[in-house]
Amino acid sequence: MLDAIALLLVCQLAGEFIRQLTGLPLPGSIIGMVLLIGWLAAVQRERPTLAAVSGWLTAHLSIMFVPAAVGLIDEGEALSRYGAGLAIATAASTILTMVVTVLVFRWALRRFAAETDAAE
Amino acid sequence: MSALLAKPLLWLAVTLVVFEAADHLSKRSQRHPLCHPVLLSTPILIGLLLMTGTPYATYADATALLSFLLGPAVVGLAVPIWRQRALIRRLALPIVLALSAGAVTAVVSAVGILALFGAPQEILASIAPRATTTPVAMSVAEQLGGVPALAAMIALFSGIVGGMTATPLFNAMRITDYRARGFAVGVSAHGFGAARAFQVNSTAGGFASLGMALNALATASLLSILALLT
Repeated sequence: MLDAIALLLVCQLAGEFIRQLTGLPLPGSIIGMVLLIGWLAAVQRERPTLAAVSGWLTAHLSIMFVPAAVGLIDEGEALSRYGAGLAIATAASTILTMVVTVLVFRWALRRFAAETDAAE
Repeated sequence: MSALLAKPLLWLAVTLVVFEAADHLSKRSQRHPLCHPVLLSTPILIGLLLMTGTPYATYADATALLSFLLGPAVVGLAVPIWRQRALIRRLALPIVLALSAGAVTAVVSAVGILALFGAPQEILASIAPRATTTPVAMSVAEQLGGVPALAAMIALFSGIVGGMTATPLFNAMRITDYRARGFAVGVSAHGFGAARAFQVNSTAGGFASLGMALNALATASLLSILALLT
């Protein structure tokens, strides 16, 4: 268990280090995720403890961002001024993104994946 | 009592108890998107802070342990991506094309529409990563000069809208391929979309999880490139 926790923290730490070194406006945790994909690809096997720890973290993701969501307490002004705009932009963008993604995926499946699927 | 209010123990315990109660209600609603535990517990916790006159900074310090776990949780998203590597390789072109189109559409449409309302830079930066999973949206928004709390709320709302509209939308569009349906709802509505997709069909669920994990990476990269160019 501790080995997996250490691996996640070391990847995040390395990601944070790379972020500070390069000045990339990318969160250290995202760089750490890329590093972990690289590490998994290099060793070609996934320890059961890593699956358990990352699975536990993902399953309890919701409570981890409650403290941040409570930060809305200080955003009353922004919410009252732009609340309607935020709601409309978010809803419209969510639906539009689903439409575009599903159409491109279906088109590309028909265009490029037909041969591979037929060959199976 | 006032000494206790400033200690991590009290607010951590309160947060866990309130969240557990909210999670119980959410289960009883059969995980209806509008009964998400974060949506139910946030206003209660805000009410408790207001009632006790606790500044948000005190609460944030006390619950830093929970926020800290977000980092390793995001790193751990590598595991589902790595596990689906055979699928990614086999459907590389559809996945890359749909992911790019979806990531660009999400950012451009959200920022573009909100700009019409005259929102300032920090609010636009908070909506830009709206399609990514909530912890990624928060940290990307922060990197861009946005407000993590707003980014979290916007990401939650994206998830609710996506979770509730995906099935009727794709049925109306006559999309029958569950790979395409799942991937699209995961790209646009992250974990909520994936949860909804798993209720419909396991193929859709797997593609939705993949869409969610890949879009965290795609949107974060896209926005960091845009930030470097401007």
